[in-house]
Amino acid sequence: MKKLLPAMLAGAMLFLAGCGAGSTPTTSSSSSGTSDKQPTIGVAIYKFDDTFMTGVRNAISNAAQGKATVDIVDSQNSQPTQNDKVDLFINKKVNALAINPVDLTAAGVIIDKAKAANTPVVFFNREPQTNDMNKWDKVYYVGAKAEESGIMQGQILVDYWKAHPEMDKNKDGVMDIVMLQGEPGHQDAIARSKYSVKAIEDAGIKVNILAQDTAMWDRSKAQDKMAAFLGSQGDKIEAVLANNDDMALGAIEALKAKGYFTNNKYMPVVGVDATAPGLQALKDGTLLGTVLNDAKNQGAATLNLAAALAKGLTPSKENTGYDITDGKYVWVPYKKITKANMADAQ
Amino acid sequence: MTTKDVSSKKIGSFFFQYAIYFVLVILILGITVIDPSFLSLSSFRDILLQSSTRAIIALGAAFVLITGGVDLSAGRMVGFAAVLSASMLQIQEYSHRFYPGMPNLPLLVPVLIAIFAGLLVGIINGAIIAWFSVPPFIATLGSMVAVYGLNSLYFDMKPNQSQPIGGLRQDFTTNLGSGYIGTGVYSIPYIVIIALIVALIVWIIFNKTRLGKSMYAIGGNIQAAIVSGINVKRVLLYVYAIAGALYGLAGVMEAARTGGATNNYGNMYELDAIAACVVGGVSTAGGIGTVPGVLVGVLIFGVINYGLTYIGVSPYWQLIIKGLIIIAAVAFDIRKYLTKK
Repeated sequence: MKKLLPAMLAGAMLFLAGCGAGSTPTTSSSSSGTSDKQPTIGVAIYKFDDTFMTGVRNAISNAAQGKATVDIVDSQNSQPTQNDKVDLFINKKVNALAINPVDLTAAGVIIDKAKAANTPVVFFNREPQTNDMNKWDKVYYVGAKAEESGIMQGQILVDYWKAHPEMDKNKDGVMDIVMLQGEPGHQDAIARSKYSVKAIEDAGIKVNILAQDTAMWDRSKAQDKMAAFLGSQGDKIEAVLANNDDMALGAIEALKAKGYFTNNKYMPVVGVDATAPGLQALKDGTLLGTVLNDAKNQGAATLNLAAALAKGLTPSKENTGYDITDGKYVWVPYKKITKANMADAQ
Repeated sequence: MTTKDVSSKKIGSFFFQYAIYFVLVILILGITVIDPSFLSLSSFRDILLQSSTRAIIALGAAFVLITGGVDLSAGRMVGFAAVLSASMLQIQEYSHRFYPGMPNLPLLVPVLIAIFAGLLVGIINGAIIAWFSVPPFIATLGSMVAVYGLNSLYFDMKPNQSQPIGGLRQDFTTNLGSGYIGTGVYSIPYIVIIALIVALIVWIIFNKTRLGKSMYAIGGNIQAAIVSGINVKRVLLYVYAIAGALYGLAGVMEAARTGGATNNYGNMYELDAIAACVVGGVSTAGGIGTVPGVLVGVLIFGVINYGLTYIGVSPYWQLIIKGLIIIAAVAFDIRKYLTKK
């Protein structure tokens, strides 16, 4: 037994290693080194297990086919880790960097490093501050305007409110909502929470926030928070605004447990991201609407800009396919998604 | 004079012994004073529902803590089991299936695969700790990181590519998630029943089996346990294996309860479980701990999570309150340990 066990463990580890080798090629460099003149682009994602950024990551890999060799790394939601990866990329002499910052205030340091090595940088999805962006002319940004997603969430509820007067359960003309928020301090969480409410108020409808709490973008946490909201507010709640689809789906599970979505008992729930489970919920009629953050175009625009820069070109509509605003920004618009136009998000 | 002394001491030790039960009651009373509507059957039911998976994870953690060990891999195993089971239990018409061509499997098959995966990782943990004498903290730290890596690889496989897994089958989400016996507030969710059955089995193992007695002996004094002829290595292997299987079961239930899964499920649950155990009177030094204690520990955190959100306490204050309760509980724990010595 004593001799057998180490051998068994070694076997188990080999088995695990084997599993790994079988399924890796999805994340690493997408195009093999057959063409030697393809530029190399170092890509750092803030966190690999973020659903939306995974979509962007896949879009970058796909867009790179035949254009560039991409080396994609995980910053593990830690800015120091990301800085280490940037050092590594510069050391490996990549032709351009595409950085999805963990902490947007850290962009300044990354720009200094890149400038010293004369390696152009494209930031994406989290917008660095303007004074950092202006530090060097080979710094670009690709992203969506965070407030736009909140505005669209609000508009979806406004449309529903106007078409379904019964949504105002207590007939006081005020929309009584609960809000499930992302990580405290997160740029998107703040913008979505603020502008969703603002869009409803801008449409002339008063909003009363019955309860709001952070569920950290997480489905099971949102489910627990929503259960508590339903416990304390009960039938006073007229709509649920969630900063993302995962939390909207958690809220829907909690609502189902309280008898909603059966026997004409309905609650409008709105999310953001248009994830696959989110679209399924739209189809089932449990999710009222979501907002598509266009991962495909964000990924493709990032890659195209970085590839152009890597070849020494100045990015333009002609060589990237995207409009460049103010000489260094590409804004990828959001899209409202409801059951009616679901196909747009698939 | 002397009698008075004794009786006051008795009252003191009574409070001391049952301190956590008082904490639970005080919490509930405090929340009720602020919002009387909190004290209702439906609040109680919600808290039980939210505590069921956590109770199973905490019971797994209790096995390990009682032997004087610690298991950091719990949360990541929950996540792995959630993803494994969910990936094989999607409805046929779902547009982004993990396995596009897979026929409907009998419900029990993916569930058992996921529990077995937890068991397997537990066996590896136990074997490394028992035969290679790697400290449990290090061994399970390693498996925590590796299991997350393995889970992420699986989750990132084509065609899924790290998209959240949704569209789970109704029989899965009902039987292991939202289903219940009874009507309205007078009902017991299935997952609460599962948690109670698990608690009963664990209670029997702790109190009525040789394995249980050996666990307490090892945690109390490992040298004495070896001298008295306990097969320490085998006991440790069993303990980590059972704990792993429980994390697997909890992961399956978490997927069913929420109707989805991602590779980030279960993140940091091991710390919640250890906190619940410690608050429930399980000694981190080993050798001390009971099933009712662990369940009350889990309920205290359940009441904090639900109740403080119910009355609208800021999430930052919730964290501060949780932290203070954990520290106070360990301070008590150490005193208990010292008086025993």
